[in-house]
Amino acid sequence: MADSALPAPGTIGGAIDVTPHHKAPGTFLETLHSWVVTVDHKKLGIMYVLYALVFLLVGGVEALCIRIQLGRPENHFLSPEVYNRFFTMHGTTMVFLMGMPMLVGFMNYLVPLMIGARDMAFPRLNAFSFWMTAFGGLMLYYSFIGGSGLYAAGNAPDVGWFAYAPLTARAFSPGHSTDYWTVSLLVSGVGTIGAAVNVIATVFCMRCKGMTMMRLPLFAWLSVVTSALILMAIPPLTAAQVMLMIDRYLGGHFFDTLAGGSALMWMHFFWIFGHPEVYILVMPAFAVANEVIPVFSRKPIFGYPAMVAASVGIAFVSLGVWAHHMFTVGMTSVGNAFFALSTMIVGIPTGIKIFNWLATMWGGKIRFATPMLYMTAFLFQFLMAGLTGIMLSVAPWNWQLHNSYFVVAHFHYVLVGAILFALMGGICYWYPKVTGRMLDEKLGKWGFWLLVIGFHMTFDFMHIPGLLGMPRQIYTYEAGRGWDTWNLIVSIGAFVQAAAVLLFAYNLLVSYFRGEVAGNDPWDAWTLEWATSSPPPEYNFVADPVVTSRRPLWDMKHPEDPDWKYE
Amino acid sequence: MSEQENHGHHSDSIHLPAPTTWPVVLAFGLALIFLGIVTNPAISILGGVLTVFGTVGWFRDVLPHERHVDVEVEVMDLNIRSTRERVARMELDKPGRYAPTETYPIVSGIKGGIAGGFAMIIPAMIYGLIAQHSIWYPINLMGGAGIANWTDTSTANIAAFHWQGLIAASVIHAITCLLVGLLYGAMLPMLPRHPIVLGGILAPVLWTGLLHAVMNIVNPVFDQRIQWGWFLISQVTFGLVAGWVVAHQSRISANRNLPLAVRMGIESPGLMQHDHDEKSEDRH
Repeated sequence: MADSALPAPGTIGGAIDVTPHHKAPGTFLETLHSWVVTVDHKKLGIMYVLYALVFLLVGGVEALCIRIQLGRPENHFLSPEVYNRFFTMHGTTMVFLMGMPMLVGFMNYLVPLMIGARDMAFPRLNAFSFWMTAFGGLMLYYSFIGGSGLYAAGNAPDVGWFAYAPLTARAFSPGHSTDYWTVSLLVSGVGTIGAAVNVIATVFCMRCKGMTMMRLPLFAWLSVVTSALILMAIPPLTAAQVMLMIDRYLGGHFFDTLAGGSALMWMHFFWIFGHPEVYILVMPAFAVANEVIPVFSRKPIFGYPAMVAASVGIAFVSLGVWAHHMFTVGMTSVGNAFFALSTMIVGIPTGIKIFNWLATMWGGKIRFATPMLYMTAFLFQFLMAGLTGIMLSVAPWNWQLHNSYFVVAHFHYVLVGAILFALMGGICYWYPKVTGRMLDEKLGKWGFWLLVIGFHMTFDFMHIPGLLGMPRQIYTYEAGRGWDTWNLIVSIGAFVQAAAVLLFAYNLLVSYFRGEVAGNDPWDAWTLEWATSSPPPEYNFVADPVVTSRRPLWDMKHPEDPDWKYE
Repeated sequence: MSEQENHGHHSDSIHLPAPTTWPVVLAFGLALIFLGIVTNPAISILGGVLTVFGTVGWFRDVLPHERHVDVEVEVMDLNIRSTRERVARMELDKPGRYAPTETYPIVSGIKGGIAGGFAMIIPAMIYGLIAQHSIWYPINLMGGAGIANWTDTSTANIAAFHWQGLIAASVIHAITCLLVGLLYGAMLPMLPRHPIVLGGILAPVLWTGLLHAVMNIVNPVFDQRIQWGWFLISQVTFGLVAGWVVAHQSRISANRNLPLAVRMGIESPGLMQHDHDEKSEDRH
């Protein structure tokens, strides 16, 4: 419950400043140096997001090549070897080099601002974490020229993003391509863990006065939950990768079934990481929705405590569902039943969230600006993704469709339809805060609708060849199996999406130089980051803010009717 | 609408952690150690050297005292104001707008579920006696669904008594009836006018139809052994008895004047009735 009294108005006002940036911009090298040595959470957050956007483009190009290859039957646009490398690198890139850095970037930039702190708890660790992530990604792509593989020429990993044993054994993956995959993810994993530790410490130890855990912005709450999941999910992957390296370099037999090891064990280790990873990626999307939907509906978030509980519930349940990726390996009926039921249970807290977002929108004065358009699409598409997820959680259904394009369509519905849409909406929402400029609304809406059309062309129709039996990861297929037309539509949709992403990137660039000046609070929002200048000064707030409710800026804008009276 | 302003300029400086090269040096060193594993040991050695430099440099940055920079601060006037002058309110207390004035309590659904659960045993037993000459057949059929190794079993085996089947079936039946009753009770506030029609006919028909449609996918063996006519009869028995029990419970006020969040016991800013006259309102 709220404190009984507001802090003195001057105290709040003094916490927020508009410091003019008197310093003349330095030379290019000086600027570059200042970014390399920075420990400022905002600069590091921007670097994380830019890094992720670059890899979004790289992974997108790989996806386009894959789709050209599959656009028509018996195609040879790529060689089989390159095709294997591309789908491996596409998956690895989008999960580890795009999704994770993007979410860590958002958390880095926003969490200290939202909780009224001057920086993260461990600024140097923050810089170290970013550079570990960055070097991990660069190392992975260095494999294209440095990984001596089967032909003693440069080649990238080609064992799929989940790198199942025994394909990763020396006998089937000679050279170093698989080792590049292992060590680069080990390195970037260290960075991710460092970032997670930092976020948790920051939220628990550096909240401003009055910001109890039940007044914490939901974005910060979900950042804590995501970070906790990272701490639990990454170590099993790291352990498995170390075991794989022991197998490959020191003659170990962890995953060598002929020598008493277990290929199945790799699957367990990978998916104990891999499924929580889905929630690690989707939680920040939820976090963005929690901030954007109320502001553009002009209502407080509906059911704040239920949203917190549902987030923690999803994280908890997500740790016990990993083997639903493994129904086809032949588990016992009890195992199948347990993992089917536990997977279905995820639908309960997730449903709570969807209902609460809808309840937030219900009766509100909704403004369909670009960020809200992305959020509306996110809601619908995430619901659809959840429904196909429930279908796949039924073991017999899964037996029919496992490793088919139905599964590929399902998880792209989550990763693109939910996560990418929400994160792009988040970028549109916070871009004015980061740059001080508004994004071009017209370009933004064009980009949004292009992406919606492209997304649905691609991933709605991708379900159908999956239902017709088209397996994932196949290099090509014969004509006349009923897959041709669907694949062509899917490939065309991929290019429409690419156009949308390019338009989005163009908008980011153009608006940075020519965009309308944003001011401190262009969306009339309620969390603390909108109380400082755009872009914020190095120290965020000149004095520690004092908050008395979940919407401190509402209280300041409406002192006659503040939130703390109701909480 | 209002605004708060912080008038007056003043200068000050703020301590912030100093920029440092050591984190990037350490990260580069560690990355090179790993890169050397897949390229050349010399790269690992170089990485090791950089790691030592980076670690020592980092320590010197924070020990004995953390290095800081002073950032000049100049505070200027600030306006935090809403662009919306009017605060609109959602009226939630218009009679009959969102829900009927009276409904059945949720607990009545649970009571109905328990009663219906007992009642549907009777047609199930009759089916077992008529179709398989054994009351244990339907019990084992249900219990077998929860027991791992009951696949490819014979009809005679299913018709025989198995205490594991009895226990499993009892547990499944009790939990399912309670949960269905709870769901029924939870739905009643939304559809309170015809509980017998809803629970006795509509829900069993929909439920049976759904199961009939998916059972050959979910469990083909189970699907072959189910007599759908009898299944429907037992479901309708459950629903009619549950609906009758519910209909004989006393109705309660639907608390329609309270917002949903309050009725659910969920704290929600702007929806809680408070110490001013304007109750049950939401704000935009």
